[in-house]
Amino acid sequence: MPVIKSIKKIFQKYHGFNFNAGLIITGVIFIIALVGCFYTPYEPTAMNVSIRNTAPSLAHIFGCDDSGRDVFSRVMEGIRNTFFISTMTVLIGSGFGIILGAAAGYYGGKFDEILMRINDALFAFPSVLLALVIVSLLGPGFFNVTVALGIAFIPSFARIVRSGFKSQVNMDYVQSARLMGAGDLRIIFVHILPNILPVLMSSVMIGFNNAVLAEAGLSYLGIGVQPPRASLGLMLKDGQALLATAPWNALFPGLVIVLMVLGFALLSEGISEAA
Amino acid sequence: MLLDIKNLTIEFHDHDRPERVVEDVNFSLDKGEILGIVGESGSGKSMTAMAVAGLLPRKKMEKSGEILFEGKNILTLPRHELRGLQGDEISVIFQEPMTALNPTMKIGKQVEEALLLHRHMNDAERKAKAMEWLGKVELDDAERVYEAYPHELSGGMRQRVMIAAAMVSDPQILIADEPTTALDVTVQSQIIKLLLKINKAAGVSILFISHDLSLIKQITHNVIVMQKGRIVEKGDTDEIFMNPKEEYTKKLISSIPTVKLRK
Repeated sequence: MPVIKSIKKIFQKYHGFNFNAGLIITGVIFIIALVGCFYTPYEPTAMNVSIRNTAPSLAHIFGCDDSGRDVFSRVMEGIRNTFFISTMTVLIGSGFGIILGAAAGYYGGKFDEILMRINDALFAFPSVLLALVIVSLLGPGFFNVTVALGIAFIPSFARIVRSGFKSQVNMDYVQSARLMGAGDLRIIFVHILPNILPVLMSSVMIGFNNAVLAEAGLSYLGIGVQPPRASLGLMLKDGQALLATAPWNALFPGLVIVLMVLGFALLSEGISEAA
Repeated sequence: MLLDIKNLTIEFHDHDRPERVVEDVNFSLDKGEILGIVGESGSGKSMTAMAVAGLLPRKKMEKSGEILFEGKNILTLPRHELRGLQGDEISVIFQEPMTALNPTMKIGKQVEEALLLHRHMNDAERKAKAMEWLGKVELDDAERVYEAYPHELSGGMRQRVMIAAAMVSDPQILIADEPTTALDVTVQSQIIKLLLKINKAAGVSILFISHDLSLIKQITHNVIVMQKGRIVEKGDTDEIFMNPKEEYTKKLISSIPTVKLRK
């Protein structure tokens, strides 16, 4: 698979400070998310009224929340959920974005015109707002939010991929592949796509970033992940009321969001630096 | 007769007024023949070549006449059948070796592309064939070139790779659209020698498009002189260079700079 090979090449090629720092931060967070799938120090939903709002200690390193739940365990679950949602969002968004953008950029003409005007119309809405509309149609919940955010992210990816294809489609090597008798699908995915991968990778990382923020935002508004499941945005919202008395409730989820965003931003920066 | 072109006319329709870029062109290409098409920019020589390669856009363009290859008219052939010919029976080398190779694909894979698309071969057979042709185009160290990316090669090497990629499927017609224009003179003459050698060894017919008369004189058996979309004169290359009949051809030939020693 040339696409996978090209991704491998990107990782071999890029080793600037930004890329490495980003890789370390996102790597650590990813490992925490992975561990969170199998193990948390306490049950994230187990309540214990006797330890309500206790400050961070050795037993509960991030302290306990208003219902006596271990904040560290909940942050772990929150990272897991946020990671999952943002990954799926980016996968849905970039997957459909690549297909639509490639088709529009490669074939051009009226098809491109129509597709891109629809895209522009969707693009006019901020993606969070668009996701909000979709969630209000589908109803709140884990999977609906994922789908809604995924759809909301399609236009920006489609646009990037389209402009990439537009710049490549008249290059001699594409003509040459066509003259070898290669079909459209082969030209699109084997010949052109690897050439726009650096641009795409960088925007995928920014997409991750936006997805993390969007998910946190939707959960903060109470239409994302539903309690008792934990999400970073939801914890932020619950912790907000206790900011004066038990700041750890909001502090740690907030910090993790900042770190995730920072990590992805550094990765994206590192990729576009080397590209 | 391998390729027979009858009354080929190409007209653009993307402006207010239709624009005729090729008008009533007739010629044929025999097996093993090297046919040159010479003319200034805008004479329709590249358009004619593109029509033979089946690369003309399908819209906004009026095409009439026939381009017959093995009894099939390339102008009206359905797309999937055309794809079956392209890269298999008819191959093209472009002018710019710098941009005609995919920068993210290894040379080996690009040379193998035509085999992958048109032949039922396994990886080892394909590689053997690709290596054979990388050798035939006189690239030293073919093993290294096979694993290299285009940016690691010089212009002349890339043009050799292009020729290998075009010839790997043993096509009957090779269309060379100004294949040496982007190269410096020494590399140019090497590539011309290489093309002549391949023509002799593989028996491939070459349609050689150029504005450079001295190149045409060196390489072609027969030549077509085009101006403003029409054929001005055609015939045996030596014959035409010795005594051109048309005024335009005379002017073209007299424009070749000659080196004179000062006494």
